[in-house]
Amino acid sequence: MTPGYFPGNILFLVIFLAANAFFFYSVYKLYRIMLLGKPEDRFGQYGERIKSVLAFVFGQKRVLREPSGIGHFLIFWGFMVITIGSIETFGVGIYHNFSYEPIIGKFLYNILYLVQDIFCAAVLVALAVALYRRFVIKPLRLESDDPKATKLDALIIIGLIAVLIILLFGSRATDAQLYAKGEGKYFPPLAIISQILALAFSGASVNTLKFWNTFFWWAHTIVILAFLVYIPYSKHLHLLAAIPNVFFRRLGPVGELSKMDLEDEEAESFGIAKIEDFTWKQLLDLYACTECGRCAENCPATLTEKPLNPKYVIHHMKEHLKKKGELLLAGGGNGSGEGDTVNQGQEEGAQETKSELDRALIGDVVPKETLWSCTTCGNCMENCPVFIEHVHKFVDMRRYLVLTESDFPAEVATVFRNWETNSNPWGIGFAQRGDWAKDLPVKTLAEDSNVEYLLYVGCAGSFDDRGQKVARAVVKLLNEAGVSFAILGQEEKCCGETARRIGNEYLFQMMAADLVETINGYGVKKIIVTCPHGYNCLKNEYPQFGGEWKVYHHTEVLDKLVKEGMLTPTKYVNRNIVFHDSCYLGRYNSVYEQPRNVIKAIPGTVLSEMDRHRHKSFCCGAGGGRMWMEETLGKKKINDERTEQALRCNPDIIGVACPFCTTMFEDGLKAKDLEESIKVYDIAELLAMSVEFKK
Amino acid sequence: MNIAVLIKQVPDTETVIKIADDGKSIKTDDIKWIMNPYDEYAVEAALRLKEKTRGKVTIISTGPQRVVESIRTALAMGADEGVLVDDPALEGSDVFGVAKALAAVVKELNPDVILCGHRAVDYDEGQRGAAVAEMLGLPHIPFAVAIDVDDGATKVKVDRPVEGGKMSLEASLPVLITLGGAHAIWNPRYASLPGIMKAKKKPLATKTLSDLGIDSSEVGPDARKIRIISMEMPPEREPGKIINGDLDTEGKAKELVRVLKEEVKIL
Repeated sequence: MTPGYFPGNILFLVIFLAANAFFFYSVYKLYRIMLLGKPEDRFGQYGERIKSVLAFVFGQKRVLREPSGIGHFLIFWGFMVITIGSIETFGVGIYHNFSYEPIIGKFLYNILYLVQDIFCAAVLVALAVALYRRFVIKPLRLESDDPKATKLDALIIIGLIAVLIILLFGSRATDAQLYAKGEGKYFPPLAIISQILALAFSGASVNTLKFWNTFFWWAHTIVILAFLVYIPYSKHLHLLAAIPNVFFRRLGPVGELSKMDLEDEEAESFGIAKIEDFTWKQLLDLYACTECGRCAENCPATLTEKPLNPKYVIHHMKEHLKKKGELLLAGGGNGSGEGDTVNQGQEEGAQETKSELDRALIGDVVPKETLWSCTTCGNCMENCPVFIEHVHKFVDMRRYLVLTESDFPAEVATVFRNWETNSNPWGIGFAQRGDWAKDLPVKTLAEDSNVEYLLYVGCAGSFDDRGQKVARAVVKLLNEAGVSFAILGQEEKCCGETARRIGNEYLFQMMAADLVETINGYGVKKIIVTCPHGYNCLKNEYPQFGGEWKVYHHTEVLDKLVKEGMLTPTKYVNRNIVFHDSCYLGRYNSVYEQPRNVIKAIPGTVLSEMDRHRHKSFCCGAGGGRMWMEETLGKKKINDERTEQALRCNPDIIGVACPFCTTMFEDGLKAKDLEESIKVYDIAELLAMSVEFKK
Repeated sequence: MNIAVLIKQVPDTETVIKIADDGKSIKTDDIKWIMNPYDEYAVEAALRLKEKTRGKVTIISTGPQRVVESIRTALAMGADEGVLVDDPALEGSDVFGVAKALAAVVKELNPDVILCGHRAVDYDEGQRGAAVAEMLGLPHIPFAVAIDVDDGATKVKVDRPVEGGKMSLEASLPVLITLGGAHAIWNPRYASLPGIMKAKKKPLATKTLSDLGIDSSEVGPDARKIRIISMEMPPEREPGKIINGDLDTEGKAKELVRVLKEEVKIL
């Protein structure tokens, strides 16, 4: 059965075509399962999409954010280079004398083989490191709650690739030795590693060499085809799904949740209750997951041992989708009647059928506590190399629980009512909303709408003692800089951001419609927001409701005013300030520099950074409505964990830019009896300390 | 089993109440109206009875059209029908006038159980339930914190607190029960969105006094048996005094003792 001779080549072709047929059938099935999902428009902007693929697939930009990514980079490019070689190998299977050499010339052929040799060796090293990480170091992100599916899977894949490369080297070493002995086709002398390995066969007879050469070729080829067949059934499916997933990624703001259609008065269900309720892109996300665990490694819930690990959630949804999807395609769903065709002789199989179709997405596949544990901080999405959107799925499922089932943590009911009656989470009378500014030189739009900016103060700035201090500092600074602005005062309403993230889209849409009407009624063009949550919501989500404004966070405005010399920090603040990035300011809106610029502009300050800062910043624990829920699960409170991270910088001051973060840090410091020695200040308060006010 | 729930719309508990110029009523602009919280417990209790007996829940209230919003809230929670007595002649009635209208609606419906809050958080009179029961000649059980009905739906068992202890009562139907307890005891359900959608289409009848056969001279300000003479806001609290922060601990203590002796005169 020498490769490339009859009948070996016929046998090869049969196996090759069978493996490919099986592979494409499997992929087609997965494709059809994906199309069970609902429509979603992810088309257009193709230039941008191609750029994404170049940067994040071929450039491995997000993979390379951490050292272990180098291993992946080598395996990825090794795979590309080896695949070029595999095509040559398959060619040999059909015709024994097939070679790239006559096509590309001796020189390039030598280079190609050298590069392939080097990558093969590099991949072997990377695989050894991968094994070492999985079975010796065992980092958090590679942990699994389904070891049979993931650990075994990883072992099979790493094993297959390793065997594949060892066999390739065997094949090449014998090729080289045969050529040296005047047999067979040209073998490039520059393939150093193959040439060195060939020395091991120098004593072998031509017949022995031919035997081994044939053995290595067949074994190598069969392993490649086995790998091909295995891909769609393993987490290595990401090989196929990652590229389209990066291509179809969200190009608009990641912090924008989808607008639900709530007009349908006959609808019995709102939000995502079943796996097939997700959109095709959300399902493609599941296929694309390689279970690298970068999400888990950065998730505040996972790291404080809450019942949420984003990687596990995606894994279990993927397994559920594949099983349920196959059954749905076979006609097993929704009383179509076709489900009755299940063979009665296969009772066991029939029972399995029943159970996967009956497993509830929320409750069985994804526990409710898991959904409520999410702070929507977006760290999972920010660090996912293939752009999976975890948070949007969590909120979609929360929407089902809240809107359809009225099933949410008991304490949230009060907060919903507070929003409904008084448009703020504390439930303080709405008529008192403007009271904080009564003694300040600040106008309302009702008094004078001919101003450049609306200062949207938000609930914390209006009602919370601590938030009011920040709002006052902002007003003082804006007045000092001569900025033309006004507030809404009693007319201001809550933006509804938190209600939306808890899943109460109905309440949110009512609040949004209300606020848009008020703001547009004054012809407002530019808005300054003092809360990153309101900022993200007004900037990225209100366009869904006709709110088309230029929206700024106060740190952006203050940075600009300092740069332009409208505000000059002169008084020394000789303090070590550690700055904490708010999720909705940093990760969701890339406002990283502006608050830091303000701190640096204040004379005497030392700016410290925590290990987890900027895009890896660790949530304070209050996002996604967690501010209003009891934190009873897990080993530690998220704010305590973050406070400890800040304390490692030995700060005098923790600098923040969000009222939620302020509260969470102050609580964290109080829990450690440190509230006297370490203070939490908003960027506006810090700047106000340093500016000599003249007005 | 037919269940009727009497609800009242009251100012939100966080509203800053201002007395009107006449000194006898409150200013109603800037008021956010909500369903009286105790009546909300009654709606919740009614829905639980409905779930057990597969009965029907009718919400009854009086007042202007703004009250429709509160009735719809109850319908969204799961009640079946609503009746609003909206008649200008009712305005300015005391509790007896209102109870007359409510009793007339209840009489037409002939329910097995009538539920309402034991008091409303606006005027805190606590007479509505008792008055309606009296007018209809029904037994009245106050301050319920738990209500159960037997399998044949012939009698109710009600728990009510007494001085921190508990008393269990039983009565044959029909009966009027007023609800006590707190939010944490009843946890009134939050309406689901399909519930809200359905509520928009549930029957809600508006009736006038003449529909109910009540002569308008029996109600309204002139028929009041109790008249409000005047209202007074609680006195403003004086600001607290902060002992001079520049003093050391001993100095602060001395100053505190001095203030308590000389200014507050309680030592």
